[in-house]
Amino acid sequence: MTLDTIDVHHGYGTETVFDGVSLSVRRGEVLAIIGPSGVGKSTLLRLLALFDAPDQGTVRYGGEPVWQIPEWQRLEYRRRIGMVFQEASLFDASVRRNAEYGLRVRQSWPDRIRHELATLVGRTNGTGDAIDALDTVGLREKADQDASSLSGGEAQRVAFARALAYEPDVLLLDEPTSDLDPRNTAVIEDAVLEAKNRGIGVGIATHDMHQAERIADRVAVLLENDVIEIGSPETVFENPADERTRKFIDGELVY
Amino acid sequence: MSLEPATVAPLLAEFPFEWNYIRSIVRVSLYVSITAVALSTAFSLPVALLVGFREFPGKTLLASIINTGMGFPSVVVGLVVLFTVSNEGPLGSWDLVFTPEAMILSQFVLAAPVITGVSLAAVSSVEQNVRDAAYAMGGTRFDVALVTIKEARYGIATAVLAGFGRAISEVGSVLIVGGNIANADGTSVTRTLTTAIQLEARQGRFRTAMILGAILVALVLLVNALVVRLGNGGGGRYG
Repeated sequence: MTLDTIDVHHGYGTETVFDGVSLSVRRGEVLAIIGPSGVGKSTLLRLLALFDAPDQGTVRYGGEPVWQIPEWQRLEYRRRIGMVFQEASLFDASVRRNAEYGLRVRQSWPDRIRHELATLVGRTNGTGDAIDALDTVGLREKADQDASSLSGGEAQRVAFARALAYEPDVLLLDEPTSDLDPRNTAVIEDAVLEAKNRGIGVGIATHDMHQAERIADRVAVLLENDVIEIGSPETVFENPADERTRKFIDGELVY
Repeated sequence: MSLEPATVAPLLAEFPFEWNYIRSIVRVSLYVSITAVALSTAFSLPVALLVGFREFPGKTLLASIINTGMGFPSVVVGLVVLFTVSNEGPLGSWDLVFTPEAMILSQFVLAAPVITGVSLAAVSSVEQNVRDAAYAMGGTRFDVALVTIKEARYGIATAVLAGFGRAISEVGSVLIVGGNIANADGTSVTRTLTTAIQLEARQGRFRTAMILGAILVALVLLVNALVVRLGNGGGGRYG
Protein backbone atom coordinates (compact mmCIF):
# COMPACT_ATOMS: atom_id res chain seq x y z
CA MET A 1 0.00 0.00 0.00
CA THR A 2 1.25 3.46 -0.92
CA LEU A 3 -0.37 6.85 -0.61
CA ASP A 4 0.97 9.18 -3.26
CA THR A 5 0.54 12.44 -5.08
CA ILE A 6 1.46 12.56 -8.75
CA ASP A 7 2.28 15.88 -10.40
CA VAL A 8 -0.06 17.81 -8.10
CA HIS A 9 -0.73 21.47 -8.81
CA HIS A 10 -2.63 23.34 -6.15
CA GLY A 11 -3.23 26.85 -4.92
CA TYR A 12 -5.53 29.31 -3.21
CA GLY A 13 -7.06 31.91 -5.50
CA THR A 14 -4.25 33.24 -7.66
CA GLU A 15 -1.52 32.03 -5.31
CA THR A 16 0.30 28.85 -6.38
CA VAL A 17 1.26 26.52 -3.54
CA PHE A 18 2.32 23.43 -5.49
CA ASP A 19 3.61 23.30 -9.00
CA GLY A 20 3.85 19.61 -9.81
CA VAL A 21 4.48 17.85 -6.49
CA SER A 22 5.01 14.09 -6.56
CA LEU A 23 5.80 12.05 -3.47
CA SER A 24 4.67 8.89 -1.70
CA VAL A 25 4.12 7.65 1.83
CA ARG A 26 4.82 3.91 2.04
CA ARG A 27 3.82 1.37 4.65
CA GLY A 28 6.34 0.75 7.40
CA GLU A 29 8.41 3.87 6.82
CA VAL A 30 8.59 7.41 8.17
CA LEU A 31 8.66 10.18 5.57
CA ALA A 32 9.60 13.58 6.99
CA ILE A 33 8.50 16.65 5.02
CA ILE A 34 10.71 19.61 5.84
CA GLY A 35 10.60 23.16 4.59
CA PRO A 36 10.24 26.73 5.82
CA SER A 37 7.02 28.10 7.35
CA GLY A 38 4.29 28.87 4.87
CA VAL A 39 5.73 26.64 2.15
CA GLY A 40 2.63 24.43 2.18
CA LYS A 41 3.52 21.48 4.41
CA SER A 42 0.05 21.51 6.03
CA THR A 43 -1.62 21.90 2.64
CA LEU A 44 0.29 18.88 1.36
CA LEU A 45 -0.80 16.81 4.37
CA ARG A 46 -4.42 17.87 3.83
CA LEU A 47 -4.18 16.67 0.22
CA LEU A 48 -2.68 13.37 1.40
CA ALA A 49 -5.41 13.03 4.06
CA LEU A 50 -8.01 13.40 1.27
CA PHE A 51 -9.45 16.58 2.84
CA ASP A 52 -9.17 18.57 -0.37
CA ALA A 53 -8.94 17.62 -4.03
CA PRO A 54 -5.89 18.99 -5.85
CA ASP A 55 -6.54 21.59 -8.56
CA GLN A 56 -4.62 19.36 -11.00
CA GLY A 57 -2.82 16.04 -10.73
CA THR A 58 -3.66 12.81 -8.99
CA VAL A 59 -3.79 11.56 -5.43
CA ARG A 60 -3.69 7.76 -5.27
CA TYR A 61 -4.25 5.31 -2.46
CA GLY A 62 -2.86 1.87 -3.26
CA GLY A 63 -2.92 2.84 -6.93
CA GLU A 64 -6.57 4.00 -6.84
CA PRO A 65 -7.12 7.60 -7.98
CA VAL A 66 -9.29 8.59 -5.02
CA TRP A 67 -10.79 11.77 -6.49
CA GLN A 68 -12.23 9.86 -9.43
CA ILE A 69 -14.49 7.70 -7.28
CA PRO A 70 -17.71 8.64 -5.43
CA GLU A 71 -17.50 10.18 -1.96
CA TRP A 72 -18.90 7.10 -0.19
CA GLN A 73 -16.12 4.97 -1.70
CA ARG A 74 -13.51 7.58 -0.88
CA LEU A 75 -14.67 7.42 2.75
CA GLU A 76 -13.28 3.86 2.92
CA TYR A 77 -9.84 5.18 1.91
CA ARG A 78 -10.10 8.18 4.26
CA ARG A 79 -10.79 5.75 7.08
CA ARG A 80 -7.44 4.04 6.53
CA ILE A 81 -5.67 7.33 7.23
CA GLY A 82 -5.07 8.94 10.62
CA MET A 83 -4.09 12.55 11.16
CA VAL A 84 -2.69 14.58 14.04
CA PHE A 85 -2.64 18.37 13.83
CA GLN A 86 -0.29 20.93 15.33
CA GLU A 87 -2.96 21.68 17.93
CA ALA A 88 -4.43 18.71 19.79
CA SER A 89 -8.03 19.73 18.90
CA LEU A 90 -9.56 17.34 21.40
CA PHE A 91 -13.30 17.06 21.84
CA ASP A 92 -14.93 18.42 25.00
CA ALA A 93 -15.29 14.95 26.53
CA SER A 94 -13.28 12.42 28.51
CA VAL A 95 -9.90 11.16 27.32
CA ARG A 96 -11.45 7.74 26.69
CA ARG A 97 -14.26 9.18 24.53
CA ASN A 98 -11.68 11.10 22.52
CA ALA A 99 -9.53 8.02 21.97
CA GLU A 100 -12.57 5.98 20.92
CA TYR A 101 -13.91 8.50 18.41
CA GLY A 102 -12.46 6.92 15.29
CA LEU A 103 -13.70 3.50 16.35
CA ARG A 104 -17.18 4.88 17.09
CA VAL A 105 -17.71 6.43 13.67
CA ARG A 106 -16.77 3.09 12.11
CA GLN A 107 -19.48 1.23 14.01
CA SER A 108 -22.93 0.50 12.59
CA TRP A 109 -25.63 2.91 13.76
CA PRO A 110 -27.38 0.36 16.05
CA ASP A 111 -24.01 -0.35 17.73
CA ARG A 112 -23.26 3.35 18.03
CA ILE A 113 -26.61 4.09 19.64
CA ARG A 114 -26.16 1.16 22.03
CA HIS A 115 -22.69 2.46 22.89
CA GLU A 116 -23.98 6.01 23.49
CA LEU A 117 -26.76 4.72 25.76
CA ALA A 118 -24.28 2.59 27.70
CA THR A 119 -22.08 5.67 28.14
CA LEU A 120 -25.04 7.73 29.36
CA VAL A 121 -25.74 5.28 32.16
CA GLY A 122 -22.02 4.92 32.87
CA ARG A 123 -21.78 1.32 31.78
CA THR A 124 -18.84 1.34 29.43
CA ASN A 125 -15.26 0.29 29.92
CA GLY A 126 -14.13 1.62 26.58
CA THR A 127 -12.95 -0.29 23.60
CA GLY A 128 -9.78 -2.29 24.07
CA ASP A 129 -8.06 -0.72 21.05
CA ALA A 130 -8.59 2.80 22.39
CA ILE A 131 -7.14 1.84 25.77
CA ASP A 132 -4.18 0.13 24.05
CA ALA A 133 -3.56 3.30 22.03
CA LEU A 134 -3.63 5.38 25.23
CA ASP A 135 -1.15 2.89 26.66
CA THR A 136 1.19 3.54 23.73
CA VAL A 137 1.40 7.22 24.73
CA GLY A 138 1.51 6.43 28.47
CA LEU A 139 -1.89 7.89 29.33
CA ARG A 140 -3.96 4.81 30.12
CA GLU A 141 -4.45 5.90 33.72
CA LYS A 142 -5.95 9.23 32.58
CA ALA A 143 -8.69 7.60 30.45
CA ASP A 144 -11.52 8.79 32.69
CA GLN A 145 -10.28 12.35 33.09
CA ASP A 146 -11.79 15.23 31.23
CA ALA A 147 -9.72 16.07 28.14
CA SER A 148 -9.72 19.75 29.09
CA SER A 149 -7.86 18.93 32.31
CA LEU A 150 -4.78 17.68 30.44
CA SER A 151 -1.59 19.66 29.86
CA GLY A 152 -0.74 20.67 26.27
CA GLY A 153 1.72 17.79 25.93
CA GLU A 154 -0.71 15.22 27.29
CA ALA A 155 -3.48 16.54 25.03
CA GLN A 156 -1.26 16.09 22.00
CA ARG A 157 -0.42 12.55 23.11
CA VAL A 158 -4.17 11.81 23.35
CA ALA A 159 -4.62 13.26 19.84
CA PHE A 160 -1.95 10.81 18.69
CA ALA A 161 -3.66 7.91 20.47
CA ARG A 162 -6.98 8.96 18.93
CA ALA A 163 -5.49 8.62 15.45
CA LEU A 164 -3.74 5.35 16.30
CA ALA A 165 -6.70 3.62 17.98
CA TYR A 166 -8.38 2.51 14.76
CA GLU A 167 -5.14 1.08 13.32
CA PRO A 168 -4.77 3.23 10.20
CA ASP A 169 -2.45 2.19 7.36
CA VAL A 170 -1.11 5.72 7.11
CA LEU A 171 -0.57 8.30 9.84
CA LEU A 172 -0.09 11.95 8.89
CA LEU A 173 1.37 14.29 11.50
CA ASP A 174 1.38 18.05 11.04
CA GLU A 175 4.18 19.43 13.22
CA PRO A 176 2.87 17.37 16.14
CA THR A 177 5.65 18.28 18.55
CA SER A 178 6.29 21.94 17.69
CA ASP A 179 4.65 23.17 20.92
CA LEU A 180 5.87 20.35 23.17
CA ASP A 181 8.61 20.00 25.78
CA PRO A 182 11.40 17.44 25.21
CA ARG A 183 9.78 14.72 27.31
CA ASN A 184 6.44 14.82 25.50
CA THR A 185 8.30 15.09 22.19
CA ALA A 186 10.22 11.91 23.07
CA VAL A 187 6.97 10.07 23.91
CA ILE A 188 5.47 11.05 20.53
CA GLU A 189 8.63 10.10 18.64
CA ASP A 190 8.75 6.70 20.34
CA ALA A 191 5.09 6.19 19.44
CA VAL A 192 5.83 7.14 15.81
CA LEU A 193 8.59 4.53 15.65
CA GLU A 194 6.33 1.93 17.25
CA ALA A 195 3.62 2.71 14.67
CA LYS A 196 6.18 2.33 11.89
CA ASN A 197 7.31 -1.03 13.30
CA ARG A 198 3.67 -2.16 13.19
CA GLY A 199 3.70 -1.47 9.45
CA ILE A 200 2.00 1.92 9.48
CA GLY A 201 3.27 4.46 6.94
CA VAL A 202 3.99 7.80 8.64
CA GLY A 203 4.18 11.19 6.94
CA ILE A 204 5.37 13.93 9.30
CA ALA A 205 5.70 17.62 8.52
CA THR A 206 8.32 19.14 10.79
CA HIS A 207 10.43 22.22 11.34
CA ASP A 208 12.81 20.25 13.44
CA MET A 209 15.70 18.90 11.34
CA HIS A 210 17.03 16.89 14.29
CA GLN A 211 13.67 15.22 14.66
CA ALA A 212 13.71 14.33 10.96
CA GLU A 213 17.20 12.87 11.41
CA ARG A 214 16.11 10.89 14.47
CA ILE A 215 12.98 9.23 13.13
CA ALA A 216 12.75 9.53 9.34
CA ASP A 217 13.64 6.86 6.78
CA ARG A 218 13.29 9.39 3.98
CA VAL A 219 13.24 13.18 3.99
CA ALA A 220 11.40 15.30 1.43
CA VAL A 221 12.42 18.94 1.08
CA LEU A 222 9.55 21.24 0.13
CA LEU A 223 10.75 24.52 -1.33
CA GLU A 224 9.56 26.94 -3.99
CA ASN A 225 6.23 25.17 -4.68
CA ASP A 226 7.81 21.76 -5.21
CA VAL A 227 9.53 18.84 -3.54
CA ILE A 228 13.06 19.65 -4.64
CA GLU A 229 14.72 16.62 -3.11
CA ILE A 230 13.82 13.29 -1.51
CA GLY A 231 16.36 10.97 0.02
CA SER A 232 17.71 9.30 3.14
CA PRO A 233 18.39 11.65 6.08
CA GLU A 234 22.15 11.08 5.62
CA THR A 235 22.01 12.17 1.97
CA VAL A 236 19.67 15.12 2.45
CA PHE A 237 21.36 16.53 5.53
CA GLU A 238 25.00 15.75 4.76
CA ASN A 239 25.29 15.50 1.02
CA PRO A 240 22.26 17.12 -0.63
CA ALA A 241 21.94 16.93 -4.39
CA ASP A 242 20.22 20.30 -4.67
CA GLU A 243 22.12 23.43 -3.70
CA ARG A 244 18.91 25.01 -2.34
CA THR A 245 18.57 22.12 0.12
CA ARG A 246 22.06 22.78 1.47
CA LYS A 247 21.32 26.48 1.81
CA PHE A 248 18.01 25.80 3.57
CA ILE A 249 19.60 23.36 6.00
CA ASP A 250 22.49 25.72 6.70
CA GLY A 251 20.03 28.53 7.36
CA GLU A 252 21.23 30.60 4.43
CA LEU A 253 17.82 30.76 2.78
CA VAL A 254 15.53 33.32 4.36
CA TYR A 255 11.80 33.18 3.63
CA MET B 1 -51.29 40.49 47.99
CA SER B 2 -48.46 38.29 49.16
CA LEU B 3 -47.62 35.18 47.13
CA GLU B 4 -45.84 33.28 49.88
CA PRO B 5 -46.57 29.50 49.72
CA ALA B 6 -48.38 29.74 53.06
CA THR B 7 -50.84 32.24 51.53
CA VAL B 8 -51.24 30.48 48.20
CA ALA B 9 -51.82 26.93 49.52
CA PRO B 10 -55.13 27.59 51.38
CA LEU B 11 -56.23 29.69 48.43
CA LEU B 12 -55.87 26.65 46.16
CA ALA B 13 -57.67 24.41 48.61
CA GLU B 14 -60.61 26.84 48.82
CA PHE B 15 -61.18 26.90 45.08
CA PRO B 16 -61.39 23.38 43.67
CA PHE B 17 -63.16 24.67 40.55
CA GLU B 18 -60.35 27.16 39.95
CA TRP B 19 -57.77 24.48 40.58
CA ASN B 20 -59.14 22.28 37.74
CA TYR B 21 -59.35 25.34 35.57
CA ILE B 22 -55.77 26.35 36.35
CA ARG B 23 -54.47 22.81 35.84
CA SER B 24 -56.04 22.59 32.38
CA ILE B 25 -54.57 25.99 31.43
CA VAL B 26 -51.08 24.93 32.53
CA ARG B 27 -51.49 21.70 30.55
CA VAL B 28 -52.52 23.54 27.36
CA SER B 29 -49.73 26.09 27.80
CA LEU B 30 -47.06 23.44 28.27
CA TYR B 31 -48.42 21.26 25.44
CA VAL B 32 -48.43 24.16 22.97
CA SER B 33 -45.08 25.66 23.99
CA ILE B 34 -43.13 22.41 24.40
CA THR B 35 -44.40 21.05 21.06
CA ALA B 36 -43.65 24.34 19.30
CA VAL B 37 -40.15 24.47 20.79
CA ALA B 38 -39.45 20.81 19.90
CA LEU B 39 -40.50 21.44 16.29
CA SER B 40 -38.56 24.72 16.17
CA THR B 41 -35.42 22.97 17.46
CA ALA B 42 -35.70 20.20 14.88
CA PHE B 43 -36.01 22.88 12.19
CA SER B 44 -33.49 25.38 13.58
CA LEU B 45 -30.45 23.18 14.26
CA PRO B 46 -29.90 22.05 10.64
CA VAL B 47 -30.49 25.65 9.48
CA ALA B 48 -27.92 26.96 12.01
CA LEU B 49 -25.37 24.36 10.86
CA LEU B 50 -26.04 25.18 7.22
CA VAL B 51 -25.74 28.94 7.70
CA GLY B 52 -22.75 28.50 10.00
CA PHE B 53 -20.62 26.29 7.78
CA ARG B 54 -21.81 26.33 4.18
CA GLU B 55 -21.43 29.01 1.57
CA PHE B 56 -24.47 29.55 -0.65
CA PRO B 57 -26.15 32.43 -2.47
CA GLY B 58 -28.47 34.41 -0.22
CA LYS B 59 -26.69 33.37 2.99
CA THR B 60 -26.35 36.96 4.24
CA LEU B 61 -30.02 37.62 3.48
CA LEU B 62 -31.04 34.48 5.38
CA ALA B 63 -28.92 35.53 8.38
CA SER B 64 -30.61 38.96 8.32
CA ILE B 65 -34.05 37.33 8.21
CA ILE B 66 -33.15 35.19 11.22
CA ASN B 67 -31.97 38.23 13.17
CA THR B 68 -35.07 40.23 12.23
CA GLY B 69 -37.27 37.27 13.18
CA MET B 70 -35.83 37.26 16.72
CA GLY B 71 -37.58 40.55 17.40
CA PHE B 72 -40.69 40.05 15.30
CA PRO B 73 -43.91 41.43 16.91
CA SER B 74 -46.00 38.49 18.04
CA VAL B 75 -49.36 40.07 17.15
CA VAL B 76 -48.24 40.36 13.53
CA VAL B 77 -47.16 36.71 13.55
CA GLY B 78 -50.58 35.83 15.01
CA LEU B 79 -52.32 37.83 12.31
CA VAL B 80 -50.38 36.13 9.50
CA VAL B 81 -50.88 32.65 10.99
CA LEU B 82 -54.61 33.34 11.50
CA PHE B 83 -54.90 34.34 7.86
CA THR B 84 -52.91 31.24 6.80
CA VAL B 85 -55.22 28.83 8.66
CA SER B 86 -58.45 30.75 7.92
CA ASN B 87 -60.83 29.64 5.16
CA GLU B 88 -59.20 32.12 2.78
CA GLY B 89 -55.65 31.03 3.64
CA PRO B 90 -53.49 28.25 2.14
CA LEU B 91 -54.08 25.93 5.15
CA GLY B 92 -57.82 26.68 5.29
CA SER B 93 -58.81 23.08 4.53
CA TRP B 94 -56.98 21.86 7.66
CA ASP B 95 -59.61 23.51 9.89
CA LEU B 96 -57.10 24.84 12.41
CA VAL B 97 -58.67 28.13 13.45
CA PHE B 98 -58.91 28.43 17.27
CA THR B 99 -57.12 25.13 17.91
CA PRO B 100 -54.02 24.39 19.99
CA GLU B 101 -52.34 23.29 16.74
CA ALA B 102 -52.74 26.78 15.25
CA MET B 103 -51.15 28.14 18.42
CA ILE B 104 -48.27 25.68 17.99
CA LEU B 105 -47.82 27.02 14.46
CA SER B 106 -47.65 30.63 15.62
CA GLN B 107 -45.27 29.82 18.50
CA PHE B 108 -43.13 27.84 16.07
CA VAL B 109 -42.80 30.97 13.92
CA LEU B 110 -41.89 33.02 16.99
CA ALA B 111 -39.46 30.54 18.59
CA ALA B 112 -37.64 29.30 15.47
CA PRO B 113 -35.69 32.54 14.78
CA VAL B 114 -34.63 32.78 18.44
CA ILE B 115 -33.45 29.15 18.53
CA THR B 116 -31.78 29.45 15.12
CA GLY B 117 -30.06 32.74 15.97
CA VAL B 118 -28.68 31.66 19.35
CA SER B 119 -27.71 28.18 18.01
CA LEU B 120 -25.96 29.81 15.06
CA ALA B 121 -23.79 31.82 17.44
CA ALA B 122 -23.07 28.65 19.44
CA VAL B 123 -22.14 26.39 16.50
CA SER B 124 -20.10 29.15 14.85
CA SER B 125 -17.91 29.29 17.95
CA VAL B 126 -16.87 25.62 17.54
CA GLU B 127 -13.29 25.71 16.30
CA GLN B 128 -12.61 24.59 12.76
CA ASN B 129 -9.71 22.41 13.91
CA VAL B 130 -12.04 20.36 16.13
CA ARG B 131 -14.34 19.84 13.14
CA ASP B 132 -11.30 18.93 11.02
CA ALA B 133 -10.24 16.39 13.65
CA ALA B 134 -13.64 14.66 13.45
CA TYR B 135 -13.38 14.53 9.66
CA ALA B 136 -9.77 13.31 9.80
CA MET B 137 -10.73 10.45 12.12
CA GLY B 138 -13.01 9.12 9.39
CA GLY B 139 -16.17 11.02 10.26
CA THR B 140 -18.73 11.74 7.55
CA ARG B 141 -20.23 15.21 7.13
CA PHE B 142 -23.07 14.03 9.37
CA ASP B 143 -20.55 12.93 12.04
CA VAL B 144 -18.89 16.35 11.84
CA ALA B 145 -22.32 17.99 12.32
CA LEU B 146 -22.94 15.76 15.38
CA VAL B 147 -19.57 16.68 16.86
CA THR B 148 -20.35 20.37 16.28
CA ILE B 149 -23.71 20.01 18.07
CA LYS B 150 -22.05 18.18 20.96
CA GLU B 151 -19.32 20.79 21.29
CA ALA B 152 -21.94 23.58 21.20
CA ARG B 153 -24.37 21.75 23.47
CA TYR B 154 -24.49 24.37 26.23
CA GLY B 155 -25.13 27.17 23.74
CA ILE B 156 -27.78 25.11 21.96
CA ALA B 157 -29.50 24.28 25.26
CA THR B 158 -29.51 28.01 26.02
CA ALA B 159 -31.09 28.61 22.60
CA VAL B 160 -33.83 26.06 23.26
CA LEU B 161 -34.60 27.52 26.67
CA ALA B 162 -34.65 31.06 25.27
CA GLY B 163 -37.10 29.85 22.59
CA PHE B 164 -39.24 28.28 25.30
CA GLY B 165 -39.19 31.52 27.29
CA ARG B 166 -40.32 33.45 24.22
CA ALA B 167 -43.09 30.93 23.48
CA ILE B 168 -44.59 30.43 26.94
CA SER B 169 -44.70 34.12 27.90
CA GLU B 170 -46.12 35.34 24.61
CA VAL B 171 -49.72 36.58 24.51
CA GLY B 172 -50.49 38.41 21.26
CA SER B 173 -50.37 35.62 18.70
CA VAL B 174 -51.97 32.85 20.81
CA LEU B 175 -54.85 35.20 21.63
CA ILE B 176 -55.44 35.86 17.92
CA VAL B 177 -55.08 32.31 16.55
CA GLY B 178 -56.31 30.40 19.65
CA GLY B 179 -59.21 32.61 20.65
CA ASN B 180 -58.70 32.04 24.41
CA ILE B 181 -61.46 29.39 24.52
CA ALA B 182 -62.56 27.33 27.54
CA ASN B 183 -65.21 24.58 27.74
CA ALA B 184 -68.47 25.04 29.62
CA ASP B 185 -67.05 22.99 32.53
CA GLY B 186 -64.30 25.57 32.84
CA THR B 187 -61.43 23.56 31.36
CA SER B 188 -59.17 25.13 28.80
CA VAL B 189 -59.28 24.40 25.07
CA THR B 190 -57.01 27.13 23.78
CA ARG B 191 -56.62 29.19 26.91
CA THR B 192 -53.01 29.57 27.99
CA LEU B 193 -51.43 31.09 31.10
CA THR B 194 -50.94 34.43 29.36
CA THR B 195 -54.35 34.73 27.70
CA ALA B 196 -56.07 33.54 30.90
CA ILE B 197 -54.24 36.18 32.97
CA GLN B 198 -55.39 38.83 30.51
CA LEU B 199 -59.01 37.63 30.74
CA GLU B 200 -59.10 37.11 34.52
CA ALA B 201 -57.57 40.52 35.16
CA ARG B 202 -60.06 42.22 32.88
CA GLN B 203 -62.94 40.51 34.71
CA GLY B 204 -61.59 41.52 38.09
CA ARG B 205 -60.78 37.98 39.32
CA PHE B 206 -57.42 39.00 40.65
CA ARG B 207 -56.79 35.98 42.85
CA THR B 208 -56.98 33.57 39.92
CA ALA B 209 -54.99 35.94 37.74
CA MET B 210 -52.33 36.22 40.44
CA ILE B 211 -52.02 32.44 40.83
CA LEU B 212 -51.70 32.05 37.06
CA GLY B 213 -49.17 34.88 37.03
CA ALA B 214 -47.15 33.23 39.81
CA ILE B 215 -47.07 29.94 37.90
CA LEU B 216 -45.95 31.69 34.70
CA VAL B 217 -43.27 33.69 36.52
CA ALA B 218 -42.08 30.49 38.26
CA LEU B 219 -41.79 28.72 34.88
CA VAL B 220 -39.92 31.63 33.30
CA LEU B 221 -37.66 31.99 36.35
CA LEU B 222 -36.88 28.27 36.19
CA VAL B 223 -36.00 28.57 32.51
CA ASN B 224 -33.84 31.65 33.11
CA ALA B 225 -32.04 29.97 36.00
CA LEU B 226 -31.21 27.10 33.66
CA VAL B 227 -30.00 29.55 30.99
CA VAL B 228 -27.70 31.28 33.50
CA ARG B 229 -26.38 27.93 34.71
CA LEU B 230 -25.69 26.75 31.16
CA GLY B 231 -24.13 30.11 30.30
CA ASN B 232 -21.63 29.52 33.09
CA GLY B 233 -20.34 26.39 31.40
CA GLY B 234 -22.95 23.83 32.23
CA GLY B 235 -23.66 21.50 35.05
CA GLY B 236 -20.90 18.95 34.67
CA ARG B 237 -19.46 17.45 31.56
CA TYR B 238 -20.41 14.14 30.11
CA GLY B 239 -18.09 11.18 30.55
